[in-house]
Amino acid sequence: MKVAVFWGCRILTSQYAYEMSVREVLPKFDVELVDLQEALCCGDPVKSVNDFAADYLASRILALASLTGARDLLVPCNRCHFVISEVKHLVENDEKTRSKIAALLSEEGMKYDSDVRIWHLIDFLHDHVGLGCIEKAIVKPLKDLRLASHVGCQILRYSDLGRVDDAENPRKLDELIDVLGAKNVDYAEKLDCCGAALVYSHVDSALSLAGSKLKALQGLGVDGLVVSCPDCGMMFDSRQKDAAATVGAKLGLPTLYYTQLLGLALNIKQDKLGLHLNQSPIDQLLAKIPS
Amino acid sequence: MSLTDLTSMAKPNLESRERILAKLHGRDLLNCFLCVKCTSGCTALKLLELKPHEIEKLVNLGFVDELASSDIIWTCATCLKCFQRCPQKASPYHVIIALRNLAVEREAKVPEAYMKAVSQILEGGLAEQVQKVTNMTMETCDRESLKLPKIKPPKESFQIVFLKALEEKWP
Repeated sequence: MKVAVFWGCRILTSQYAYEMSVREVLPKFDVELVDLQEALCCGDPVKSVNDFAADYLASRILALASLTGARDLLVPCNRCHFVISEVKHLVENDEKTRSKIAALLSEEGMKYDSDVRIWHLIDFLHDHVGLGCIEKAIVKPLKDLRLASHVGCQILRYSDLGRVDDAENPRKLDELIDVLGAKNVDYAEKLDCCGAALVYSHVDSALSLAGSKLKALQGLGVDGLVVSCPDCGMMFDSRQKDAAATVGAKLGLPTLYYTQLLGLALNIKQDKLGLHLNQSPIDQLLAKIPS
Repeated sequence: MSLTDLTSMAKPNLESRERILAKLHGRDLLNCFLCVKCTSGCTALKLLELKPHEIEKLVNLGFVDELASSDIIWTCATCLKCFQRCPQKASPYHVIIALRNLAVEREAKVPEAYMKAVSQILEGGLAEQVQKVTNMTMETCDRESLKLPKIKPPKESFQIVFLKALEEKWP
């Protein structure tokens, strides 16, 4: 099956482990990923500056997706997934915006396409590929691992848009963890935000949010934290040391992308999954997986 | 300035209030009945003292100019819990975004990173710069060494159209 993929900025410019693991894992389920012709921002930071310009950027992505010929668009970043889903909703319900966007796109010979279906990695794997299909593909069950999940904010809210999972009680990522043979651990701070959006204006507060959540998780004695958004990956993995310094705690919680975890269960080489790029002590978690 | 100070010392500007309402695409700010569900679950409440219900109330009363020049609108973490949980579908998140847009238009205090992101998108399509990452074994990696495909920037015509979109007038 051919699926267009829009990576956004953060994955392409620094969260390489996410991109590598998605590119490795999905073909195992007969998914052919087609990159868009151009790399572009989804419009997220532009929303705060000029929301119409942001709407234009997000619509342009849907136009680029339709040029690939695929009917499905995979957006592995939570923030991009929200911005593109919201513009789709707006363009389809607001005639004024629709005609203005169409006029701008036509200047480049492009056309808005409302038939493109938007997926995040979590609902794509859970609902489209299916838990049964994943279970069958497992080569190395991740027995004995106790893992916490962090779904992130923007793929859960707001429900009127049609989001990836339930806003207050998301279960899909947990089920995806369990199907690999591991055990998901529920915790009180599950819906707490990683703080990434505040990096633009209040770095210390952003790191403090991430640090507090990591501290709470560490207290639970879990083997690791599973994320599925490049912003959350940046906060909990790449910047875990900074977060620890901000909250004044000793943090060492292995944090990895769900696709990296899935790749381990599919017995894909660690280097190919970008596991050598994680900044959190991922070796602690890898040591617990029977070889 | 606190809510009490504003209501006794500042003058409401209903014209500015209309401009915010026009940006909300029909979301009914006026429905807010101050149940404070938004504030009780706000990510930025504890650390940065953002109180979304106060923002709603102040806009409703017409103190938009004061908000647009205030730092408080830049403390939102955009976690969307306020809108999700609002029983009246008045979205503090969308009100804050509209206030930020107004602040930019009026050249008020805007965190530099936002403007930098816009100029980077204009230059090369992406809001972030491509980084080299150093891993735990002190090895420096980039897209090429990781065998990731080259990033393809948008075609030249994009810049002109994006600039046009940025100049689009307020509804």
